[in-house]
Amino acid sequence: MRKVFSVMRTEYLNSVRSKGFLIGLAMLPLIIGFTVLAQVMTRDKADLSDRTFAVVDRSGRLFSIIEQKAAERNSEAIYRTDDGGGKKQIRPRFLPVVYDETQAEDKQLQLELSERVRQDKLFAFLIIGAKAIDGKGDEAARIAYFTQTQTYTQLPNWLKSVLNAEIKRIRFSEAGIDKGLVESLSRSVNFKELGLVKVSGEGELIEAEEKNDAVTYGVPFATMFLLFMLVMMSCPTLLNTVLEEKMQRISELLISSVSPFQLMLGKILGAVCLSLTLSVLYVGAAIGMLWYFELSRLVPWSMYLWFGTFLLLALFMYGSVFAGIGAVCSEMKDAQSLMTPAMILIMLPLFCWQPVLQSPNSAFSTWVSLFPPATPMMMMLRLATSPGPPAWQVALSLVVTVTFTLGCVWAGAKIFRIGILSYGQTPTLGRLVRWIVSG
Amino acid sequence: MKEVDLEAVGLRHVSKRFGSHQAVDDLSLSVPEGSVYGFIGPNGSGKTTTIRMILHIISADAGEIEVLGSVSTRANSDQVGYLPEERGLYKKMTVRRQLAYYASLKGMTARAAHLAIDDWLERFELSPWGHRKIEALSKGMAQKIQFISAAIAKPKLLILDEPFTGLDPVNLEVLRKAILELNKQGTTVIFSTHDMAMAERLCDFIFMIYEGRKVLDGTLETIQQQYGEDTVRLEIDGGSRLLEGLPEVERILDQGNYQEVTPSGDPQALLKALVQKTRVKRFELARPSLHDIFLRIAGPEAQEGQAQ
Repeated sequence: MRKVFSVMRTEYLNSVRSKGFLIGLAMLPLIIGFTVLAQVMTRDKADLSDRTFAVVDRSGRLFSIIEQKAAERNSEAIYRTDDGGGKKQIRPRFLPVVYDETQAEDKQLQLELSERVRQDKLFAFLIIGAKAIDGKGDEAARIAYFTQTQTYTQLPNWLKSVLNAEIKRIRFSEAGIDKGLVESLSRSVNFKELGLVKVSGEGELIEAEEKNDAVTYGVPFATMFLLFMLVMMSCPTLLNTVLEEKMQRISELLISSVSPFQLMLGKILGAVCLSLTLSVLYVGAAIGMLWYFELSRLVPWSMYLWFGTFLLLALFMYGSVFAGIGAVCSEMKDAQSLMTPAMILIMLPLFCWQPVLQSPNSAFSTWVSLFPPATPMMMMLRLATSPGPPAWQVALSLVVTVTFTLGCVWAGAKIFRIGILSYGQTPTLGRLVRWIVSG
Repeated sequence: MKEVDLEAVGLRHVSKRFGSHQAVDDLSLSVPEGSVYGFIGPNGSGKTTTIRMILHIISADAGEIEVLGSVSTRANSDQVGYLPEERGLYKKMTVRRQLAYYASLKGMTARAAHLAIDDWLERFELSPWGHRKIEALSKGMAQKIQFISAAIAKPKLLILDEPFTGLDPVNLEVLRKAILELNKQGTTVIFSTHDMAMAERLCDFIFMIYEGRKVLDGTLETIQQQYGEDTVRLEIDGGSRLLEGLPEVERILDQGNYQEVTPSGDPQALLKALVQKTRVKRFELARPSLHDIFLRIAGPEAQEGQAQ
């Protein structure tokens, strides 16, 4: 064990003393900070060029309201008032122009207007059918929006909302229904999303809390993502160090002093220590922030315990896989091709976290969280999502993952033992299997 | 030669195969405690495989290996120092940290390792380089660091695979002295080399392996005795050119300033033939050198003979 400790210590100190560690340490907050900063900085960088669009109004009753609403919008809604009271334009103006060729044949008209859009004389055009207010029928009842910039959705969405409101108003009015009454009866229902009521230790009823998006979505995702990042920041490094030792022929010297299993275990423990250092820093910062903003109640203490448990399991599982891969390769390009399947397994939770968050106790969520390579992150996600998985599933996930992790360490050690001194053999899956089943 | 009795390393009927290649074939060997044992043999003959099996880096397919009294286990690995053929140093690590790491793997405490590092760096005049990274060192310096890492824990058994490769004569002499010093203190030394002159100078025993099999094993004297005084060392005007084609000459080993010749019959007949052709400055009946013996076993002529 003393030798395992020596390897672990050296592995750990080599990692934390490297520039890569400081870069890695800053990476997570930098990514988050950069994302926020980018959003703030690009918020005001919208394309403010005027959106001029032609309106062919065959109903003869809607252009005026579009023009009026556009004018209202252009005078107020496109500006943001800053703290000093100054106004800054943050959205483009919408400039409707009436197109009089209402008698022209539809296809000819569309072609002509399309050409004007292509020439950048117009941004889009709108053809309102003669029976658009009635809304019954096909072509004549249709309101069609044409553009070559289909990714820009603000204008069609605005038009949809303005026309919907106006046409409904006209319909109610023509039906002789009072506008004030319609508005009063159409008011939104008072709908609240709540958790469940609880009973305190003293038998008192605790009211249900209102849904909090930070707790509902933020905490589970942040927990899973942090787990993912911690695995990503330590396990692939393990592959690099094993490969470096092999390429520089250091492995042979080490194996003369320690057994391959001791060497691999020491290296994995070094990666575990590195990861724990990072998690102490990150989780410590998170706890500090939650405490500062008086949000500590959002994350129960048991969650930190589960986080530590699943982090350790993930590190041993992926650590042995990456150490094994490093041992069988003699060159970086071999390692890269073998790394791909392992990376897909690590990233699996990132592909399926959304359906799990939507229905944490569905059959899909249950199975995916019991699939060992994904269990640490998926079960963590489910644990952080209300109502949480049944206890038997958590227990089963632990049994399955511990067993699978032991299997990974065992197979990794067998591959490591043979691979670490093998040179000039292209690693293939068949060869790896042979090494695992060999005595 | 020192008095030796106990066995530091014993190999009994050891074999190792890699695929279809028989790397070591039924090898038995006994390395006495306190001796300097030289492993010689052509490239690919099985020297490094044998060394790796002694170190338990790889396991033998058959046979028994005893190292410092422990049979087929790594129990005594802390008492064995190793300098591999392919040098293994962390380029980005400083000299001191690297040596401290290797020392800790041999069970040394941090304090003992610290003192030993000071001592070795001073002895090899490398003290100013202690806090420099390995990548900043010259090849010779790195070689010395590699040697220190093998010797730092005062091993009972020191195994050196090609320790002198790439060293200039000054560094070579420093290393040779260090090896002998350790040997005087009781360390058994096994080293493989292609430098026959160094093997003759340094080794108490010489073992030659060829195509996985032991072909020589013993002291230099006993090995040479096997061949008898069948060699003539010659120094003649005209050099080896004049010897070519002479029926009295079986084989010539040109050493530059002199030639080692194996006569085909009576050496006196050779002397008579030479005197008639040129001026003979030296004519000495001698035992063959290790270099000559090596070539007789593994040289092109021997291989041709085997093929026939």
